[in-house]
Amino acid sequence: MSRLTPILSYLLLGLCTLLCVVPFAYMLSLSLQSDAELMSGLPVLIPEKLQFSNYVAIWERAPFGRFILNSLIIAGGITLLHLIFDPLVGYVFAKLEFPGKKILFGAVLSTLMIPFFIRLIPLYIITAEFGWLNTYPGLIMPFAMSAYGIFLMRQFIAPIPSELLDAARIDGCSEMRIYWQIVLPQVRPALATLALLTFVFQWNEFLWPLVVVSTTEMRPITTGLTLFTQETFTQWNLTSAGGVLLFLPSLALFLFTQRYLVRSVMLAGMK
Amino acid sequence: MARSMTLKTRQAITAYLLLIPAIFYFLIYFFYPIALEFWASLFRGQPLIGESSFAGLSNYVEAIGDRRVRQSLVVTLIYAFGATGATVVTGLGLAALLNGPIRGSTFFRAVIFFPYIISYVIIALMWKSILDPYTGILNGALVALGLPPQNWLGDVDTALPTLMGITVWKDAGYAMLIYLAALQSIPTTFYEAASIDGATPMQQFRYLTLPLLMPTTLFVVVISMITHLQELAPAYLITNGGPADATQLFGFFVFKKAFFELNIGYASALSFMMFLLILAITAVQFKLGSREIKY
Repeated sequence: MSRLTPILSYLLLGLCTLLCVVPFAYMLSLSLQSDAELMSGLPVLIPEKLQFSNYVAIWERAPFGRFILNSLIIAGGITLLHLIFDPLVGYVFAKLEFPGKKILFGAVLSTLMIPFFIRLIPLYIITAEFGWLNTYPGLIMPFAMSAYGIFLMRQFIAPIPSELLDAARIDGCSEMRIYWQIVLPQVRPALATLALLTFVFQWNEFLWPLVVVSTTEMRPITTGLTLFTQETFTQWNLTSAGGVLLFLPSLALFLFTQRYLVRSVMLAGMK
Repeated sequence: MARSMTLKTRQAITAYLLLIPAIFYFLIYFFYPIALEFWASLFRGQPLIGESSFAGLSNYVEAIGDRRVRQSLVVTLIYAFGATGATVVTGLGLAALLNGPIRGSTFFRAVIFFPYIISYVIIALMWKSILDPYTGILNGALVALGLPPQNWLGDVDTALPTLMGITVWKDAGYAMLIYLAALQSIPTTFYEAASIDGATPMQQFRYLTLPLLMPTTLFVVVISMITHLQELAPAYLITNGGPADATQLFGFFVFKKAFFELNIGYASALSFMMFLLILAITAVQFKLGSREIKY
């Protein structure tokens, strides 16, 4: 019995791992198949001859380079804004005393409960008012800060001993300098967590660009690919090649940061 | 004394100055939109962007009598409760497996978590190709085993469960990580004490682990429910709401009303109703959850 349990555990875990890997492997396989193999009616796992030409074909049909650049600008810009504002606001709520602090913090936290699609129509209207439809500011600004990021940063800043900050104040240090030279260096791992999570999730954002963007050149890769898959609907080899293109940057980022990313999610969930 | 007073005042002024961007941001992008949404829900037509007429609460009255709204609501509740339940159970199971002395646990953790950070656009594409009734590998495998092929996403009976399955496939890794973190924070001395008292592993799990995990479960359930109740990407990207509205998630239904049919007033009323429903469900969960935790 006790010798069987580990075997059973490995069996179950192996099965789950396969379930997670096979779909991606199949997408890769599809992206390298010829039309004839697709039409054969038999599922092909390993293509006879790798059709790398599929990848050339999709670059001719859609500006994937531009899509990737847009995604980098949007997700990168949002991440930068988060790194500027979330820790600053988190610091104010963690370490400064002022009237109305509880109410304001409660108001910020309450926004966590507001589903995105309820704000969708008004956000569109506000963005139109600003003249930002189909622009980078229009794609970036609605995600400039998050209650989640502010809360996360506050949790990390709170344990920094207040005596340390008070000592600096008595020495005549300004609040901004305390923040910049004492607080920020202490929470570097948390900043990395925030940056990673923000970037990964904004890279995937699909609904807002769908609503705000009206030209092909402004599309990030998510909605760029949607456009592409609608046009080449039944050609699984071509759409899969597009999927692999969108998936590779995520995979690369994940491989380089996976230890860290996995730990951050565990940590962020605990707080 | 005077010095500390000025320090306090100065600190308050600094705090407000530093908060100005945040105050503007949350007002413009969160609180004003909710007010605007409610205001728009009181009009017929295209309030805020085009022709409209004041209609009072008639959009709400119409929504309650709308058969498609009710069907969409039922579909969404089944989807949200089903996906949440399955995600929590799968996540807890995987975490329990990985919490033991397992070799390569870092690897398993990473691979199983991976689908969670992938865009629904890719996930839709992958699963649509796998589930394709004619060329997909799943039906290929079924036929090879001598079983009848299924039209997974095209059949009214299987479409919603299939969609839920894909969601659980994506989200289970996240729940697993949160549970793992919680499991690792339980002191081993608890289990040692229980073993000395003669508790079997199953009893330890039932009477020790599960109660200690209650706050984590509450967290995972609330996050998961809020996410799944408002989800529209799977319906939009995988099934387009069909067949015969069988996967018409509420968010997608509202999205179509607003952006395809330009029925802004009605869509606003629907989304405001959904907002209230999500608030109510979350409040009930906290109420039930906190009672459980005290026990």
